[in-house]
Amino acid sequence: MNADVPKRYLTGLFLTRLASFWRPLSNLGAAQSHVDGARSLLTAAEFQEELAILGLSGRRFEPEDYSDALGDYLNISIGVHVIPDSWYPELSRRLAISGRLGELRYSEQVNMAAIFVPGSLPPLVLTLTILHELGHLAAGDLLIEPDEEFEEDDQHDEEAKYTTLPLTKGKKLARGNPFAAESLREREANLRASYALFAGCLGDENPYAHDMYDVL
Amino acid sequence: MSAAQHQALVLGSVSFVAFLVFLCFLLPKRRTKFSVFAACNLLFVALMFGAVALVDLSGGRAEIVVAVMTELPIVLIVAWVCLALAGGLSVQLGTLPAEPVARRPRLRAILGSAPLVLLLSVGLATAVGLIWPSRAMRVYAPAPPQFFVLKGLIMAPEALYAGFAALVFVMAAWAPRLKRRFYFKNLAFAVGMVCIATIALESTIFAGLRVWLEGDGRRTILETLNTLEACLAIICILAFTVGLSLRYTPAVATTLLHRLQTGWLHAQEQFESLEWRAVSAGAADRLTYASDAVVAACRMKGLPESETQKALATIRLVAVMKDPSSETQNITPGAARKLYELQEEILCDDVLASKISWAAGWRSRTHEPQTVKSAPLHDALKAALDLVDNHGEGEGARTPPLWHYIVAVSAADAKMIDPAQISMQPRDAAKHSAAAEAYDAAKRSLRRLDDPE
Repeated sequence: MNADVPKRYLTGLFLTRLASFWRPLSNLGAAQSHVDGARSLLTAAEFQEELAILGLSGRRFEPEDYSDALGDYLNISIGVHVIPDSWYPELSRRLAISGRLGELRYSEQVNMAAIFVPGSLPPLVLTLTILHELGHLAAGDLLIEPDEEFEEDDQHDEEAKYTTLPLTKGKKLARGNPFAAESLREREANLRASYALFAGCLGDENPYAHDMYDVL
Repeated sequence: MSAAQHQALVLGSVSFVAFLVFLCFLLPKRRTKFSVFAACNLLFVALMFGAVALVDLSGGRAEIVVAVMTELPIVLIVAWVCLALAGGLSVQLGTLPAEPVARRPRLRAILGSAPLVLLLSVGLATAVGLIWPSRAMRVYAPAPPQFFVLKGLIMAPEALYAGFAALVFVMAAWAPRLKRRFYFKNLAFAVGMVCIATIALESTIFAGLRVWLEGDGRRTILETLNTLEACLAIICILAFTVGLSLRYTPAVATTLLHRLQTGWLHAQEQFESLEWRAVSAGAADRLTYASDAVVAACRMKGLPESETQKALATIRLVAVMKDPSSETQNITPGAARKLYELQEEILCDDVLASKISWAAGWRSRTHEPQTVKSAPLHDALKAALDLVDNHGEGEGARTPPLWHYIVAVSAADAKMIDPAQISMQPRDAAKHSAAAEAYDAAKRSLRRLDDPE
């Protein structure tokens, strides 16, 4: 994606040039930072890095632990509200017809995120739905100005790169910026949820966690 | 043979033996990117020192070039290790950062800067050496202060980065719940990096002594330091060999994990969520009464809650699979069979099947988590396929449990399936009649509740 940057000052132009010269050098040293406007979908190894930052790498954890650690890292309060919709079939019906399994609301003013999920969901779907919504928070998907018109071909090649958008505010856990296309943000949230479920189940048997102690 | 040639011969021989050990014993068993890189480096070092031992070098600038070239392999090793610890090789070579580094952005930035800083310092040292040449390869000869500057420029950052790398390996070794093999592996690498840092410090001191030390004891002190350096080099090579040779095979392979994440989990989540949508949206309108009757019948027969849940899941599946509406078109017997086969694949692996679990509800740690085996869906899929498709239960197959018969009677009563196609009926007539009795009683009971008049 191209962004129009006003070149008002010569110093700004010089610094931009300097930054473009420095970026490959810094990338030679540090791990690849995905700030160049396009990146591929999250891999299990990249997710393991996120878990290490949260202090959950190599540990068995429940979605609650992930939610608490993510909230602490992002410095926000995350509330998960399981709606007892089995008592209100009409509510379940409306949710089902809307095609949504959960809803995430975020308020920057009060530093609070709330996840709403119907309690009648099957346990695995409930767990994955909560992890999916937490994945949106980790990715910083709510911290961009989404372009509703934007569409991008969702290729099935794992190496394919897709356009990202910079954050306008706040903090995220992911190293890469959120995708511009909503379908890709949803796909990546699904990936994060499945990686989190398996990493939480396997704990110290997770081969990706092993790789962090076997770097040579 | 001069002292410099003698020292080069010793170091060259040690490096060549280490290269042969790598080539014969280590590389065939464990070929990591680092072990290949280290082997190439050792060969380069052996050839370099061999050339120095054979050719009597004279002339300041030539000695400077050779001196810098002999330092280069160690500098490259330190740069590679630091970059690997920082995860800087991740894009090209598929490695993760070390766990203690991932949590510390500053440490990561420091380690990530190693290649740039080390190569710049080598370049600067070469420039200093070429501008002010000195007899760098004459080990015990007096040297000018510029020689100390040259050595210091290379050795100070090398010692610093090797020290940081050693610290990271120690932190990694001390991580809680770490497999014993990783503990020893990281400890071995920490020893190796400490040796490199110590050699760098010793080398700087050695250069200083060559510049400023005079008197009778000078030669003895320099020889002692030289011996110390050779010992440290041997320990370093041994430590890296031990570290690289320690292997750990995970109980769960990454390829299997990837297949489960993209195959089974995706399929099960899709299947269950579509089923939930279909049931909640009322697509399977015949279901409500039938499921209430099934639950009541199971409870009348005193079946455990887990079996009641399986019966409920089965009747829901049958209803959704037999519903012609568009909302349920993706839940077909074919999709159900595919999911069942994926589940069976997981259940073949005892370790994996016992580990993959999910909570029965949010913040409900008191409940037993569900597994592929214990979740109602697995048995429900089999039962539903049996009822809908009449597949999988041949002659001599295991007699279905009572809850299966209750579902069959209920599904037939609700016209979800053709009563004539209930294949299990002749297999256990007693169970079938018990199920029919319980179902009729449950229906009567529900009718009384609905219409008390």
